[in-house]
Amino acid sequence: MKTAVHKHHVLESRSPLLDILIYAVMVLMLLACVLPFLYIIAMSFSSSEAILNGRVSLFPVGFNVESYQQIFAYPNFFRAYRNTIFYTAAGTAIALSMMVLFAYPLSKTHLKGQKFVMKLVVFSMFFSGGLIPNYLLISSLGLTGTVYAMILPFAINQFNLILLINFFKSLPEELEDAARIDGLNYFGILIRVLLPLSTAALATIGLYTAVFFWNDWFYGLIYLKSELYPVMLLLRNIVNGTTMVGEAGGVGERASIAIAVKSAVIITSTLPIILLYPFLQKYFVKGMMVGAVKG
Amino acid sequence: MQKQEWKTRRPSLRRRYLNNYWQLYLMMLLPLAYFILFKYVPMFGNILAFRRFRPLTGPYGVRWEGFRYFEMFLKDEGFLRAFRNTLELSLLNLIINFPVPIIFAVLLNEVRNLRFKKLVQTVSYMPRFISTVVVISILTELLSPSSGALNRLLQSVFGTQPIYYMNEARYFRPLYILTDMWQYTGWSAIVYLAAITGINAEMFEAARIDGASRWQQIRFITLPTIMPTVMVMFILKVGNLLSLGFEKVLLMYTPANSVVSDIIDTYVYRMGFQSSANQYSYATAIGLFSGIVGLILVTGSNLLSRKVTGESIY
Repeated sequence: MKTAVHKHHVLESRSPLLDILIYAVMVLMLLACVLPFLYIIAMSFSSSEAILNGRVSLFPVGFNVESYQQIFAYPNFFRAYRNTIFYTAAGTAIALSMMVLFAYPLSKTHLKGQKFVMKLVVFSMFFSGGLIPNYLLISSLGLTGTVYAMILPFAINQFNLILLINFFKSLPEELEDAARIDGLNYFGILIRVLLPLSTAALATIGLYTAVFFWNDWFYGLIYLKSELYPVMLLLRNIVNGTTMVGEAGGVGERASIAIAVKSAVIITSTLPIILLYPFLQKYFVKGMMVGAVKG
Repeated sequence: MQKQEWKTRRPSLRRRYLNNYWQLYLMMLLPLAYFILFKYVPMFGNILAFRRFRPLTGPYGVRWEGFRYFEMFLKDEGFLRAFRNTLELSLLNLIINFPVPIIFAVLLNEVRNLRFKKLVQTVSYMPRFISTVVVISILTELLSPSSGALNRLLQSVFGTQPIYYMNEARYFRPLYILTDMWQYTGWSAIVYLAAITGINAEMFEAARIDGASRWQQIRFITLPTIMPTVMVMFILKVGNLLSLGFEKVLLMYTPANSVVSDIIDTYVYRMGFQSSANQYSYATAIGLFSGIVGLILVTGSNLLSRKVTGESIY
């Protein structure tokens, strides 16, 4: 073993040019992903005077938490944040249950009709109703202006569903046979045997789904009135000037406060994703690999 | 074979089959109904493209109009501009952003320090999970003519006048492509990394013994092995040529940059929701047209790939 490693090193041809290129690209990648957030964080904690004079770059200048105090005192922000939490929690719960109940029968290739339903699923990935027919369906169901419009239409995502089907297919069949001998029916097998083994796959799909709901703003825009707006739509309206936060004296001061406030909204609305990300990322790569293995 | 057996045996077999499997059918009843309602009913709602819409009379229109709306948009300058813009932006984006994750994956695989490799990989996925609204908000702040970092930097180094990047037509495409690169390079690289990891280590070992340099190993082992994956990803991209990041374009859209930023999807959106008359039938016709072109692109490229490379996505 030791000699093999040794041989590896001796035979490794050196190419410093390649190494420089590789590390340059990797460092660039790291900086590109991290710096924009540092900049926004710095802005959100800086004084309006420093922002106005362009003295803020990667660290706060004239540190203060005024912008955060302002958005927390702003009732619309709280309401939008609460709405988003609700859409994310309810949407993800419904989506996961629907997809589990759909994926398990569809993982049984011998089941009559399974192939046909799979064809329906795949076809709908390449052709869909389009914006207007979807909108008219939601409004003819009477869902416009209700929280259901934000949750129900998105419960089944075909990509995630196929991931889950492939995952169920990859589980050994002996497990189910043993459970059936023990007298469990299909519901029992699914809930008591398969789901406990599926935490990585469920975490993956749950993460994708939760991120979708958390980040959604467009459907809020076309389906809802402002009391039900999710936080991302509020942010969009603050950034494009439709909605104003805070009150201040001069135009200049107002503009610079607005920048600090915008930055604070960006940070607070993205924080849950950034905080949860390190814990969840190990699951989703694993889950994605399992799903990618064709069953 | 199973099917024949099914037909020729006694009828009680059907009962026995249902006795065995009814729970599985029951299980998918609700999700299937749900799926049909939210995916297939809107698909049939496309019938509105051929029918005149009247408010409060339901989503399927009141009178047949044939291909009137199709003839209308084919003569509509606004639509033709949106169609051209979609193709140009999409092709540019494909040419520039398709190879980037492949290069990134190949280079990342050459990183010897495993901890550093893992760090870069993990950080590079993250932008994929950031909301488009946040991405565009950050971009707007960075590029702001009054306080944005870029303008300040250019001003202090070159003394240039501040530029309102987000509002100028010629910067729209570069910004769209750059933000796509920022958001999806790491994420799209996963599939190539998985393909590279699947390469047998002995192949590299043998190449090294034969004196192949690392460049040569990349050129003659890594790249040929991931070629099938590259093809499949390329088919998917070509199939999605007409579906750009609609939400991002909508967020970046300003009247001043609309010359290049008005794409089919934003045009449909404006016709449907922002024009005074809510031209639902007209907007549906455009949406249906782009959906069918998309379907033809997917099937066409898939067929071509199966013929040429033996790889296909379904």
